[in-house]
Amino acid sequence: MRAQLMWRTLPSLVLGLLFLSTPVMGSCLDKDQELLRQLQKQADIMQRTSMLLNPYIQSQGLDKDGLKEHCRERPGTFPSKEALQRLSRQELLRALNTMLDHVLHRLMALQQDIPKAQDLETVNRAKQNIRGFKNNIHCMAQLLPGSSERTEPPPIGPGTSPSPTPTPDTFQRRLEGCRFLHGYHRFMHSVGQVFREWAESPSRSRRHSPRRGLWKGARRVPLSRGNKRLLPRGQLPR
Amino acid sequence: MLTLQTWIVHVLFIFFTTESVGELLEPCGYIKPESPVVQLGSNFTAVCVLKEKCMDYFHVNASYIFWKTNHLTVPKEQYTTINKTASSVTFTDTSSLNTQLTCNIRTFGQIDQNVYGIRIISGLPPEKPKNLSCIVNEGKKMMCQWDPGRETYLETNFTLKSEWATEKFADCKTKRDTPTSCTVDYSPVYFVNTEVWVEAENALGKVTSDHINFDPVDKVKPNPPHNLSVSNSEELSSILKLTWINSSIQDFIRLKYNIQYRTRDSSVWNQIPPEDTASTRSSFTVQDLKPFTEYVFRIRCMKEDGKGFWSDWSEEASGITYEDRPSKAPSFWYKIEPSHTHGYRSVQLIWKTLPPFEANGKILDYEVTLTRWKSRLQNYTVNETKWTVNITNDRYIATLTARNLVGKSDAAVLTIPAYDFKATRPVRDLKAFPKDNMLWVEWTAPNESVNKYILEWCVLSDKSPCIPDWQQEDGLVHRTYLRGNLAESKCYLITVTPVFADGPGSPESIKAYLKQAPPSKGPTVRTKKVGKNEAVLEWDQLPVDVQNGFIRNYTIFYRTIIGNETAVNVDSSHTEYTLSSLTSDTLYMVRMAAYTDEGGKDGPEFTFTTPKFAQGEIEAIVVPVCLAFLLTTLLGVLFCFNKRDLIKKHIWPNVPDPSKSHIAQWSPHTPPRHNFNSKDQMYSDGNFTDVSVVEIEAANDKKPFPEDLKSLDLFKKEKISTEGHSSGIGGSSCMSSSRPSISSSDENESAQNTSGTVQYSTVVHSGYRHQVPSVQVFSRSESTQPLLDSEERPEDLQLVENTESSAGSFPRQQYFKQNCSQRDTSPDISHFERSKQVSSVNEEDFVRLKQQMSDISKPFEAGQMKMFQEISVADAFGPHTDGLVEGFETVGMEAAVDEGMPKSYLPQTVRRGGYMPQ
Repeated sequence: MRAQLMWRTLPSLVLGLLFLSTPVMGSCLDKDQELLRQLQKQADIMQRTSMLLNPYIQSQGLDKDGLKEHCRERPGTFPSKEALQRLSRQELLRALNTMLDHVLHRLMALQQDIPKAQDLETVNRAKQNIRGFKNNIHCMAQLLPGSSERTEPPPIGPGTSPSPTPTPDTFQRRLEGCRFLHGYHRFMHSVGQVFREWAESPSRSRRHSPRRGLWKGARRVPLSRGNKRLLPRGQLPR
Repeated sequence: MLTLQTWIVHVLFIFFTTESVGELLEPCGYIKPESPVVQLGSNFTAVCVLKEKCMDYFHVNASYIFWKTNHLTVPKEQYTTINKTASSVTFTDTSSLNTQLTCNIRTFGQIDQNVYGIRIISGLPPEKPKNLSCIVNEGKKMMCQWDPGRETYLETNFTLKSEWATEKFADCKTKRDTPTSCTVDYSPVYFVNTEVWVEAENALGKVTSDHINFDPVDKVKPNPPHNLSVSNSEELSSILKLTWINSSIQDFIRLKYNIQYRTRDSSVWNQIPPEDTASTRSSFTVQDLKPFTEYVFRIRCMKEDGKGFWSDWSEEASGITYEDRPSKAPSFWYKIEPSHTHGYRSVQLIWKTLPPFEANGKILDYEVTLTRWKSRLQNYTVNETKWTVNITNDRYIATLTARNLVGKSDAAVLTIPAYDFKATRPVRDLKAFPKDNMLWVEWTAPNESVNKYILEWCVLSDKSPCIPDWQQEDGLVHRTYLRGNLAESKCYLITVTPVFADGPGSPESIKAYLKQAPPSKGPTVRTKKVGKNEAVLEWDQLPVDVQNGFIRNYTIFYRTIIGNETAVNVDSSHTEYTLSSLTSDTLYMVRMAAYTDEGGKDGPEFTFTTPKFAQGEIEAIVVPVCLAFLLTTLLGVLFCFNKRDLIKKHIWPNVPDPSKSHIAQWSPHTPPRHNFNSKDQMYSDGNFTDVSVVEIEAANDKKPFPEDLKSLDLFKKEKISTEGHSSGIGGSSCMSSSRPSISSSDENESAQNTSGTVQYSTVVHSGYRHQVPSVQVFSRSESTQPLLDSEERPEDLQLVENTESSAGSFPRQQYFKQNCSQRDTSPDISHFERSKQVSSVNEEDFVRLKQQMSDISKPFEAGQMKMFQEISVADAFGPHTDGLVEGFETVGMEAAVDEGMPKSYLPQTVRRGGYMPQ
């Protein structure tokens, strides 16, 4: 019994230390439902292509018939909704934090190809939203009663370490950027749905242990870098 | 190259110069602290440290130090000499915000030298900022504001700090002109709680406000909805549909709305119930609106849960509801106008246009029907609001409907009574009063059911006719206001007519003002009658055009030039007033003011003067005085008339003319012609005091007829018997000169005959009947003329007598005889005139005459009375009476002739034809 308690406490401590590695500043909301609602709202906002993809397509001259069809998420860039659903809350938060860091990185790279200040402002606002989302993830992680029993980042597929594919020319780079953003919006849409499921079953995390709950599906459908199966693509909100 | 050399020289010059000046200006010491900032009310200590070199040079130490603040020496009690080189000064309870503090030394015992100086700045540390709040205007960056607290008197910096749990944002420094607010330079991220606080810092400290933690989306002020539009529905005339476009904030938050509307001509907004607009939407249908009415709408929004701020109002949009049939029948009335056609009347039907809220659309026309009793209905379509028709004297029923695009109104029914209809049943207790800038009319309904009331009103004016306006009220109404365009200060004649089913009732009228004002002109007062102590003032009623209200009363102000003004209030129904207790013979100034409920107005000033005497007073004085004078005069005249002889005797005594005197020759044988018994008795009593002088006129050399003499004798006798004596002008010259004379027939004539004559008489006492009297008695003449020698010598008289016979040829002969002296009398000169003429004789003569009289009377006192007795006994008068009468009459003639003669008399001879002794 004691060993079991230790087993549960230790990962929480690790996760807490992970997020607390950032300097302690403003206080977080202490109401998890309110915080979850904020995360949902943020995900709803961030999934809108009007927030990033559409301006990018316009700014990069990709808003032409024939090109839009090529602006599709490259499979494996972001984890699928099912993959996310299989994660425990702690794992999901950790995975989100990791993925969003990657997105920030990629956005910084994309900024170099955006000449117009207005479009830059759009990208900056998107980056600011991502930072805000990460802040709420941090706060949610602090509020979670249990913690992940695993210390490693969850194996959620290629999204765990997305890296820009080397592109030979500018057009391809722009197209890759477009595909990345498309995947980003789809990913955030999936995140929103997962959070909504959280809100619909608030006791789920308590009823099921993270490992038995969120990670249950993961075990059944383990995500690995090598598993390149196509994730279901939801219609991105526009 | 040259430039470089010049530059180097300049630099070297400046360097050396600066060095040398630095040596020269090196202070003798210094003060610690160098730049102090002191909290107000705290203690402060400064230390001045002298340099050794300076001390040696000036031979001073720290004890020579003295302090000055703002050039005033600080008391030495505040000094402390720390050591040989340092001295401190301490200030308690610092209150000055900015103080100059200097350290000084006194060198050589008399020279004050400044060592060092500092400036002490005082102030307060900042207070903790309060009431920190933030707002996120949609599309803009977050702005926060706070209450900075008390004044610090120091430069205080406010810094707005914000952070997430994982990230810290850049500080927001306030600008100098907005020290209590700051706008962050990053876009707020919704749904991420942000912690915000304010730091206030100045030289005396730093303080931080309370931290606030909020989601920026809860501080949003959205942009207002835009593109608001309004559309109506043909199916429903009571609805309008609004559509709009929400701001982009709806992508993040749900909204609720406020929708307000008003009619175009109203300024009051109505609001849709908030619960009907509590969710995000882009359209809304407003119900329960009036048909064919233009409405104006506006809308605003905010976060659905009420957090944040309402947006500004959107731009207004308007729309008109669709038409509906007129909701009410028009007001309907009629006027009877005289008609030239016998048996017909001209009736003008009039009605009011329906107000928009009753017309419910554009009125296309009106339909009028006219029905005579049991006859066919007649329809007319009229586009105007009046219609004139000739109808018979029968009773008619008229109906009126208004028509618009949708339908007709209900019919207004009006009964036009027959020609001989007598209206009765008026309203009672009719009142009119202004209230809330409206003219209200109130009445009590008649006992019978009233269909409606017709209110008519017009402006009463002397300049223009009464042009009535009218309105209709429901039969249940008993109080309303006049809905016309009424003017202030105008008198309105308001008439209320109840309308029954069988026709109109009798009208009742009342006057009223919407708002009264003081009269435009004051009344012009004038005097109707001015008395010694009162004045009746009168004035005309003010014309209604200048009254400006109901004249409640008048005030009359009157005063004298120097006196105080007196005011008298007079009821407005009066048009005259009597001022009493006025001072006579005084100028009064009077003016008059008329007052309404709102004030008064003075009229022009009028002056009048009260008379010195009251009316009739002069007459009351003058008339009695005149009457008294007249009466007195009359009495005097009467008295004089009655006493004329007495007066005459006193004033104008008869003076016989000696020149006309005549010596009678008495015949002792001549029997007495009259019985003088009575006279004898009288004489015997010794009362014979007078002698009558009878003047007998001898006309034209004729001797008096015996008949005349006889009658004269009779008269003489009567006179004597009544008066006891006889008298005549100059009679006094005989015995007593105070006897009036007696004229023979006409006194006036006889009096006139004597005028202007001064008569002398000589009384010759001769013997009885040719008997020579033993003693001759002479009566002295009263004349001032010197007596002739013949008078003084009796023998001469005889001579004169003799010569007298020859004088009878003269036309007018005067005779004089003792006791019955006769004189010429003139019938055309009155006795009074003669008196006047006599009185015109010199008064000296008169005085002298009186003296002579008195001289004469003295020797006569004893002997003369005896003589009179003897005369009376002798009765010598009898035979001469005829001649006396005649001679009496001629005296006046003689006097008239003599009037132009000198008043000095010369002795005259007896003229021919004179009296001859018988």
